Amino acid sequence: MKQLGLLVLLCLTALSFAPTSTLAAQEIKPFVRGSYQQIISARQGKPFIISFWSLSCGHCMDEMAMLKKLSKKYFRLDLVLVSTDMPEEKKSVAATLEKFSPRNAETWLFADSYTDPLYFEIDKKWYGELPRTYFFNAKNEVTAISGKLEHEEVERWVRAQYAPQ
Amino acid sequence: MIETILNYQRVTQMNRIFLALLLAAIWSGQAGAADQSSHAGHSASPLPDQERERKWKESLAKHSFALTAVFDEKGRLWLAAIQGQHVYISYSDDHGITRSAPVKVNAEPESILGDGENRPKIIVRKGVVYVSYTQGLAKPMTGHIRFSRSLDGGKTFSQPITVNDNLEIISHRFDAMGVNDRGQVFVAWLDKRDLSVAAKKGEKYAGLGLYYAVSDDKGKSFKANIKAADHACECCRVAMAIDTDGYPVIAWRHVFDINIRDHALLKLDAKMAPVRLSYENWNTASCPHHGPSLSIASDGIYHAAWFSNAPQQRGLFYGHSTDQGKTFSSPMNFGNFDAQAAHPYVFSLSSRVFLVWKEFDGERTGIIGMHSDNAGKSWSAPGKLATTSDVSDWPFLIGKNNRAYLSWNTKNEGYRLIEIGEEKK
Repeated sequence: MKQLGLLVLLCLTALSFAPTSTLAAQEIKPFVRGSYQQIISARQGKPFIISFWSLSCGHCMDEMAMLKKLSKKYFRLDLVLVSTDMPEEKKSVAATLEKFSPRNAETWLFADSYTDPLYFEIDKKWYGELPRTYFFNAKNEVTAISGKLEHEEVERWVRAQYAPQ
Repeated sequence: MIETILNYQRVTQMNRIFLALLLAAIWSGQAGAADQSSHAGHSASPLPDQERERKWKESLAKHSFALTAVFDEKGRLWLAAIQGQHVYISYSDDHGITRSAPVKVNAEPESILGDGENRPKIIVRKGVVYVSYTQGLAKPMTGHIRFSRSLDGGKTFSQPITVNDNLEIISHRFDAMGVNDRGQVFVAWLDKRDLSVAAKKGEKYAGLGLYYAVSDDKGKSFKANIKAADHACECCRVAMAIDTDGYPVIAWRHVFDINIRDHALLKLDAKMAPVRLSYENWNTASCPHHGPSLSIASDGIYHAAWFSNAPQQRGLFYGHSTDQGKTFSSPMNFGNFDAQAAHPYVFSLSSRVFLVWKEFDGERTGIIGMHSDNAGKSWSAPGKLATTSDVSDWPFLIGKNNRAYLSWNTKNEGYRLIEIGEEKK
């Protein structure tokens, strides 16, 4: 495991010097049944944040701007932003992400207008209130919070997760 | 507020860990590179706000399943729906099976808000068809409250007027409408004008204002806007019911203290101060998109239903008041927590009271209902009234001839009107 960790560290170091274009618009992935588990499975053993937002949520824009600041400071922060808007609102979602979201966030948009199963898969105790944020630590334990987060609160979490072992 | 809700078992297979770590490493690497390049001055040029507003405007044209139905005094069913950029009114004498040709309310195209908590409203009294709706404006989360009426039985509608007398491009949305037997029309809505003033002064203002306007001439004109309350929650529908004396009572999600988003109630008779309706203490700076429901029975009892996701008091709640809203009964918590019980609606026919709400059982979306024969003191067991397996509107209840009906629009089945409350075993 230690060797694996070292290998990963090497990959990370190498990749962080690789040229990457930041000018391309962010890809927005279609969020369908199974996507939530896919996002989680791809990050086993790593801390990350999934934040759900919508065009109709003022608090979400504030939260996204706050996450953008944090993301600039902690570039390893693995952030996934999922818009709960409709597929036909993709252009508006893209324009809003362009304005508010961190460049390095992975972005998704609900791609099934039948949203009841999507909410059900994500979290039976979530009723669609926004923003809704899930904090996954490296042990894959998750904490869910409804409502705009405080910068300090999130920064504390980020520091704890990415602290040197 | 913070709670651990799920525990995912760690995957123990070595190759899967490696793959996941590698993916994460690649991702972190890209993230790092992106950050470094932005420090080097290569920031992507953001789209101008006008572009974002243009995209927003386009997105307002999405299809809407929002449909409002009411009965008039003769038992005719009237429906208000959105098609493209128009509100359309039709009627039916066979519970919605066949309908009259829909008539346009607004001749000029407008963006009509019709998702979730937004929908056109319709009331038909003494031959007059009253319609209110929210017009979406060019900027995100902005709107005007619009009103129109028909004096010829729904054949033609008056040119819609804007009811809010503040015309800033800000939020005036989530209209609620009531009409009493005197022909007075009441429209209440959520309004950001006070927030706008505060923002210009660099001051903070929690939530937004709740305003209303009254027409004494059956909707020909409205008097000056009146502020009902400061600090309402921003994006939950307002509920309105007409009391036995003809004055409307409104219920809404309010911002108490700094961020407690419970409910408040106010009678719009200029005599009452807002009272607190619910005490779940949901402390959240969020948009629940989940407003309350209110019904006032002919015996004067107020019946209210609402939603909260407070950690200690979660789910749907019902309460009634026998003293015109001054105090409410201890709230009854209802609905299946594991099926995302949501969007409750309450309706009363004298001492018979009905509740409906939405649930999703993992396979299908259903409307669950229950009823009380003693003014909300005791309730029947919940029962499933209808289901669907695709997009659906919120559930509503309407009544005629002492009978209650579920009014529900779904993508697959279309509009359904289902009688409820009878013991069918």
